[in-house]
Amino acid sequence: MARYYFHIKDGADLIRDPEGTELSTPDDARLQALRSARELWADAIKSGRELAADAVVIADEHGRTLTFVPMNEALPKRTK
Amino acid sequence: MPMLANSPNHFLASLSPTDADLLRPHLKSLTLAQGAFIYKAEDLIERVYFPHTGVISLIVGLTSGQFVEAGMLGRNGVIGAGAPLDGSIALNSAIAQVGSSGITVETGVLKHLVRESETLRISLVRHDQIVSAHTQQVAACNALHELEERLSRWLLQTRDLLMSDTLPLTQEFLSQMLGVQRSSVTLVACKLQDAGLIRYRRGRIQVLDVEGLQDSCCECYAAINAHFHRLVGWSPDAAARHAAAEH
Repeated sequence: MARYYFHIKDGADLIRDPEGTELSTPDDARLQALRSARELWADAIKSGRELAADAVVIADEHGRTLTFVPMNEALPKRTK
Repeated sequence: MPMLANSPNHFLASLSPTDADLLRPHLKSLTLAQGAFIYKAEDLIERVYFPHTGVISLIVGLTSGQFVEAGMLGRNGVIGAGAPLDGSIALNSAIAQVGSSGITVETGVLKHLVRESETLRISLVRHDQIVSAHTQQVAACNALHELEERLSRWLLQTRDLLMSDTLPLTQEFLSQMLGVQRSSVTLVACKLQDAGLIRYRRGRIQVLDVEGLQDSCCECYAAINAHFHRLVGWSPDAAARHAAAEH
């Protein structure tokens, strides 16, 4: 288990996750970031507000950025 | 055992002197650590719990391992009120969201006592009804209201039960209770903080502006309080005044 932090990048701003979450693997962390990105999109679409995020940034407990999930990656593919 | 009329628990404090005398010999103290279960869904509810402090969340678990909060109770209510009324199999799980202390009575004893006292039975029926009224409101709230409104409602309810502006809650717990992703809580908590309504640090949320939170929450906060007032005569403001008078 390791602690992962999920910050939200919004332009020049970084909205920090103050607590982090214990997860087993980096893949679990990536999946959680993807789920977060999907939900942020869904909320923005349902409420008709602008999306205040560019990416979900995954960091480790030392504050190092491990990877990030751009918001566009969370969009579903169009069937046609 | 002190006089029940001065009990921090609204149910116990509201009992008639006769009903208080019936119950008094059977009361036992109980302390629950944060995260402790009082019962889990489908358990036999062996004891009824009357919290003095803390917050108890009624949660519904799914086979995926996820769970969502359906309602919360503290000094305003009774955990397992339906058990002595022949509803002794738990319909949901009850977990101490924040450490709690209070009084318990064995379900079997209460089952016997409600046959002796109609007024005691009616009090328990009302406290069972309030759980139903509360959880129905939360179902509507979860389905239709935005996270910012729901989180504001949730913080106000928790504050009323704890009678403190400092809420010892992690965002992970909050996201589980509200059935949303962590990042959504991070974003909304940040927005509430920027608006000066709360301040959050790791594992702790400080309420700074109660009126501001009331403005940012949905109608459900007032609706749930109206249910409590009508069914069992409890309101957060009266409870806070009563507590202030005790000190």
